[in-house]
Amino acid sequence: MENFELLMGGFATALTPMHITLMIVGVLLGLIVGVLPGLGAPNGVSLLIPLTFAMDPVSAIILLASMYWGALFGGSTTSILFNIPGEPSSVATTFDGYPMARSGQSTRALTLAFMSAGIGAFVGIVVITLLSSWAARFALRFGAAEYFAVYFLAFCAFIGMGSASPIKTAVSLSLGLLLSTVGMDTVTGSLRLTFGLDALLSGVSFLVVVIGLFGIGELLATVQDGLKFRGVASRIDPRDVFKTMLELPKYITTIIRSSAVGVWMGITPGGPTAASFMSYGLARQWSKPGAKFGTGRPEGIVAPETADHSAGTCAMLPMLALGVPSSATAAVMMGGLMIWGLTPGPMLFSTQPDFVWGLIASMYIANFVGVILVLLTVPFFAALLRIPFAIIGPMIVAICFVGAYTVANSTSDLWLVLIFGVVGFVFNKLEFPLAPLVLAMVLGSKAESSFHQSMIASDGSLGIFFSNYLVGTIMTIALALLIIPQTLKFIQYLKSHKSVDSAA
Amino acid sequence: MKVKALSIGMTLAAATMLAGQALAFEPTRPVEFVVASGPGGGTDNFARTIQSIITKHKLMDQSMVVLNKGGGSGAEAFLYARKNEGDPNKLYFGTNNAYLLPHVAKLAYSMEDLRPVAALAFDEFLIWVKGDSEYTTPAALIEAAKAKPNGVTFAGSQSKDTDETLVALIEQTTGTKFKYLPFNGGGEVGVQLAGGHVAANVNNPNENIGQWQAGAVKPLCVFSDKPMAKGEPVYDGKGWGDIPTCASSGVNIPSYKMPRTVWTAAGTPDEAVTYYSDVLKKVSETPEWAEYIKKTSQTGDFLAGQPLQDFITTSEKSTVGVFEAEGWLVK
Amino acid sequence: MRIKRLHVELATAVTLAAVGALGATGALELGVSWSDSGPMPGYFPFYVGIILIIAAFASATQAIFRMRMGSEEMRETFLEPEQTQRVLSFLLPMVVFVVVTVFLGTYIGTALYLFYVAWRNGGYKPWIAILIGIAFSIALYFVFEKAFQVPLHKGPIEEMLGIY
Repeated sequence: MENFELLMGGFATALTPMHITLMIVGVLLGLIVGVLPGLGAPNGVSLLIPLTFAMDPVSAIILLASMYWGALFGGSTTSILFNIPGEPSSVATTFDGYPMARSGQSTRALTLAFMSAGIGAFVGIVVITLLSSWAARFALRFGAAEYFAVYFLAFCAFIGMGSASPIKTAVSLSLGLLLSTVGMDTVTGSLRLTFGLDALLSGVSFLVVVIGLFGIGELLATVQDGLKFRGVASRIDPRDVFKTMLELPKYITTIIRSSAVGVWMGITPGGPTAASFMSYGLARQWSKPGAKFGTGRPEGIVAPETADHSAGTCAMLPMLALGVPSSATAAVMMGGLMIWGLTPGPMLFSTQPDFVWGLIASMYIANFVGVILVLLTVPFFAALLRIPFAIIGPMIVAICFVGAYTVANSTSDLWLVLIFGVVGFVFNKLEFPLAPLVLAMVLGSKAESSFHQSMIASDGSLGIFFSNYLVGTIMTIALALLIIPQTLKFIQYLKSHKSVDSAA
Repeated sequence: MKVKALSIGMTLAAATMLAGQALAFEPTRPVEFVVASGPGGGTDNFARTIQSIITKHKLMDQSMVVLNKGGGSGAEAFLYARKNEGDPNKLYFGTNNAYLLPHVAKLAYSMEDLRPVAALAFDEFLIWVKGDSEYTTPAALIEAAKAKPNGVTFAGSQSKDTDETLVALIEQTTGTKFKYLPFNGGGEVGVQLAGGHVAANVNNPNENIGQWQAGAVKPLCVFSDKPMAKGEPVYDGKGWGDIPTCASSGVNIPSYKMPRTVWTAAGTPDEAVTYYSDVLKKVSETPEWAEYIKKTSQTGDFLAGQPLQDFITTSEKSTVGVFEAEGWLVK
Repeated sequence: MRIKRLHVELATAVTLAAVGALGATGALELGVSWSDSGPMPGYFPFYVGIILIIAAFASATQAIFRMRMGSEEMRETFLEPEQTQRVLSFLLPMVVFVVVTVFLGTYIGTALYLFYVAWRNGGYKPWIAILIGIAFSIALYFVFEKAFQVPLHKGPIEEMLGIY
């Protein structure tokens, strides 16, 4: 219960008018950068860091962390309304969030997303509060082989239960993997598949591909049926927000499962993006047969959002306790910590208890503030869809291209967005699944690096993936998630064929 | 495209050269700080610290914008310099990667495309082992590697970069063979060691101090000609000043340091280079800079002009020697 | 000639196979075998490229097979003439937008693009349309350059006006 006392001390630090103002400012700024695909939490955070030199470290980190939460919320907004993921980790939210908004229920979709995000974050903070020292020690047990196992697990959980044709899934997956190998390879230090083009030196950016595939691809799909948003006769009623909140208890199992996935992926090196995909995959797998995912299922929004935010929150732990940034934003914040004179590491919790617990307490409050603020913005965002398409459509296009440009300040990325926009449109029409491609791009190069590192460490023996309980267990679960659903599907297929045969 | 960027660069250069003749150089637009690493990396902190000091002490009239171009181990930033030949409103922040990268990877830029402005700090390298490791001296680690070639693992950041170069240098000096395992960044490397997944690493002080405070890792020696500055004890009564030099403890490498460097593109007028090196000189004399150097346990040493050129020439030559022996050079 | 879905399936498969082949050949020069320190740099891209080629051909075969089995889906028109016209009326200005942006910068490109689409597709009066375009460009400028200090791509006109 020592942690509890420390937390109360933290609340005393965090609950001052000055700090609450900082939280509100931070969350609002975060919402803005999160909504615009060209800006992300790293931009916002790096911009604010020079301002924080004049503040004391607790105030500074509260401002930055609040901005991070705001950005996570904002990223979901554009995913749902325009099929453009504002942040990489909100890609999975587009799968069901956008169809739901398209069917005229944008308020419901946004509310579901924000509420489950808030709950996910809350679970994450509770875990940090209770298990910080244990989790930091646990994270130390992850070597290269364990890293690979975690990525492999995320892959298997998502791919195992796809509804698309296996051949087309394979096409999509291998295309994504191929794209992820472009650029400098960390392990061997060699440039790969750049074909002498400077623009490919830093690889094909995930964000650029996603903006093209989802944002532009979807707009093209929209206009083929008329120059307007599909079925956006959305009625905006604040009461819908409350109605949706009352709906949440129905998804309690999804929420619990997704938070668990998020906490796991946040503490281990998986990260929020992998967590949201894995959680979505599992939700699909656990759902009642016949439930059509990808058409606006509430669980399809709740699962990725909960996992995304619990992972995003738990990912603060490795940053503070181990000094390993789990995301670009965390990396910038960590740079800030050092400039403020704090050393991230196992001793931070004992040498700077005011700072750490002030931050943790502020997470509770800032997320609460965040949920309220974003819920207030729901009617505003939903109203955006009422602007005539001939105006909002090109604005979205412009923002997509601006966003792609800012990733690397390179005009060649504009062409990539255009190409992937057409690819997204064609793939959609031909029913190639896009999700495996995106997942492969997120995890592909990380998985390959950690696989290669494991091979160097073990002198090329695959046995390293079963060399201890931890890695062995993760690998076994991963393989089970990959194989069991396929076997079940195959058995079902055999059975149904038999009955068709006998009927004929 | 490239032609267009170049022509703009040239008109600009021409314009500023005309202006430069009339009066001393002043940046004409917000200065871009192009950083050869991703956000949060050592080079990024270096650039952002300088940015904040310049802002605070109003050392420049124009504002500054930080651009991260960390692709290809930082090559992206230097390629950008090539494209912006003669643009005096862009500064490039890197390490020794600026002049070493073209030797190990086929890249479309060379040293001809850059002009050195200044080096402001030198990051130290140490041999670290796990806190409860059986190796208490560098000699013990070397002995273990001699007994079992390829059996002792060093972790480091990136491949064919400063860390792997140093490990190769240790191998060549002592006639041993280590296994080298590259990871993404210093933080990850530190955790791999603290978790006992590797035997040692050659992290910079800043990257391992957190783990050292907790006693999870310990330093064996520092690659410097003299011990580091004394400071407060970090763990178990020992501080940075108590670490022996590697040369005095059986690994005969007198000095291995990574300079933190600032560059402009080739074709930048002399006045501009002088202007920026003056500004950076002033930065290096502020108390905030001293604080940054102390916190990150680097050595603060300001080099510009001929001494900097000499340093780069020597450093490049000796490192290329290591590359050659390892067979990393690209033709 | 009507473009059937089958045709697009086949064209896509051929394109994907070509991408796979490009990747695999690009990987060849990096070494694709298994050295004593694990896979060589080209190992993964090479085999992933090969898998992509195989999967693309499998996808094409499947499409042809389904056509032979009398699948209606494969005979469907990929895009009705009317749909093609709509998609092109959206896509072509976008392509022009990218070209203009690359050469004249983001702000000019965006303003012209918004103006054109609002005017031609939206049926707005030209002066309203041009106002929309300019207002949005200015908003972009303030949000990105001023508020968040993220520089966007600029062309010769900004250069002339002295906007950085």
